[in-house]
Amino acid sequence: MRRTGLVYDERFLRHRTGPYHPEVPERLTAVMQGLREGGLLERVVPLPAEPAELTWVHAVHSAEYVRRFEAACRKGETVFDSPDNQMCRETYEVALLAVGGVLAACREVLEGRLDNAFCAVRPPGHHAEANRAMGFCYFNNVAIAARYIQRRFGIERIGIIDFDVHHGNGTQHIFEEDSRVFYYSIHQHPSFAYPGTGREFEYGRGVGYGFTKNSPALPGQGDEEYRRLLERDLLPAFEEFRPEVILVSAGFDAHRDDDMSDIALSTEGYDWIMEQILALAAAHSRHRLISVLEGGYCLTRLPELARNHVQALLDG
Amino acid sequence: MFVSRSMTRGVITATPETSLFDLQELMSAHRIRHIPIVDAERKVIGIVSDRDIRSALPFRFFKEGLSEEERAKFQDIRARDIMTSPVITISPGYTIQDALLMIQNAKVGALPVVDEEGRLRGILSVRDLLRAFINVLGIGEPGTLLCILVEEKVGQLKKIVDAITEMGISFGSVLVARYWEEDKRAVFPYLLTQNVAPVKKKLTEMGYTLIDPMQWYLDQLPEKEKEPPPRS
Repeated sequence: MRRTGLVYDERFLRHRTGPYHPEVPERLTAVMQGLREGGLLERVVPLPAEPAELTWVHAVHSAEYVRRFEAACRKGETVFDSPDNQMCRETYEVALLAVGGVLAACREVLEGRLDNAFCAVRPPGHHAEANRAMGFCYFNNVAIAARYIQRRFGIERIGIIDFDVHHGNGTQHIFEEDSRVFYYSIHQHPSFAYPGTGREFEYGRGVGYGFTKNSPALPGQGDEEYRRLLERDLLPAFEEFRPEVILVSAGFDAHRDDDMSDIALSTEGYDWIMEQILALAAAHSRHRLISVLEGGYCLTRLPELARNHVQALLDG
Repeated sequence: MFVSRSMTRGVITATPETSLFDLQELMSAHRIRHIPIVDAERKVIGIVSDRDIRSALPFRFFKEGLSEEERAKFQDIRARDIMTSPVITISPGYTIQDALLMIQNAKVGALPVVDEEGRLRGILSVRDLLRAFINVLGIGEPGTLLCILVEEKVGQLKKIVDAITEMGISFGSVLVARYWEEDKRAVFPYLLTQNVAPVKKKLTEMGYTLIDPMQWYLDQLPEKEKEPPPRS
């Protein structure tokens, strides 16, 4: 059994979006309900979330962007940068707390007190660009975590696996010129789904060329196609890259019951994906893996998906 | 959508006396495939494409280079010897649609853009047209594409646009495929949002059919044709 940490804080529920918006506090309630019913809360190490130090946020986002975001919240603006990003006065503080929670998990894992961790945080992060909020995301939690691990712990090779059904444009762009961070994403084909990036021919730029890999899946596809793509693209790429730490952008919106996409993964399909990722962590990163919640909007499926996810980390 | 908005300015040009090797160097240095040939008044009198250059040189040149001696033989070839003249040109006031049709009919890769006096103002290549169309499709911005089947009668598009606008969502573009099923059209709104689930729900409640995205393409794929064997 692995030593698994869990980042959760009730203050994550204080980020409120507007009507018609799927990124709601109830998502986290559903996640926690699943963990509780699965008897997992007694088995994980709870990790407190403190607001992140701005130094680390600035490792990814420009100071001007951070100030603009903070000012918009303080003024009581309800959208930021795009109508998709609905928010409230507390959003800035909650976003900073989410980053802080993820960094705490990284610290525990990198200092050897834990093997892996799941961060049940919101708002999500993988669409957030250095200077722009996008797709419900404000601070790029996973990107900031990667910079933190690089700079604080001097890690040379970080592997990011993003299985949210949407392409993590922010994370890809932030690391596209960095050969020490390998960004892999599997998602619904960008001609059919937000955000319209993550095409098969995007491989990174400059010295980072070859350290970005995308596997777009066509609408209607499910477990079988994901298996084919992961075996063809992810496994060989990570065998070669040999990440010392793995970060996961865990999105549960590729499930067939999630109406945010046309991808139809089953719950067992998600289990299989985690098996592959944990095998990579066992082979290359001494089990070191930090998983961070991104999307996943089906409130009736989230409990079991989160439960299986954390169970896999514990068994990892 | 006028040509003046999409053309490339600051065109690289040459004179009729420019040598073939200089033309070739200009193309590779600037990564371009067409060089308008102009006179002293900057009037366009011809155009040289990378194909004109390739046709003028032996195949060996591209494979292994030429000896000094062989090279000297081609030294005297000038732009005026290989350029296409007269040139098909367009004016800055033409629309992008005009340019598209002209490029298709003339089977050329680029059109010099000239003013009323025939002076060069810019050039519009297939690449510039592609950029213009990426802009029209809106796919440079993050968004989600939907496909809605509607009956072919007046006012359908308005209802759809109104319904989506009421939800505070902006449009990247709206395409309409005119022939889908009999008496039906397919409308493809590209919406600048990630949050399409409520839109889909609303449109379905209004009685519209959302088409399975795979059918957008699969239905259009031609039957497998018998291909002729390669010529030996």
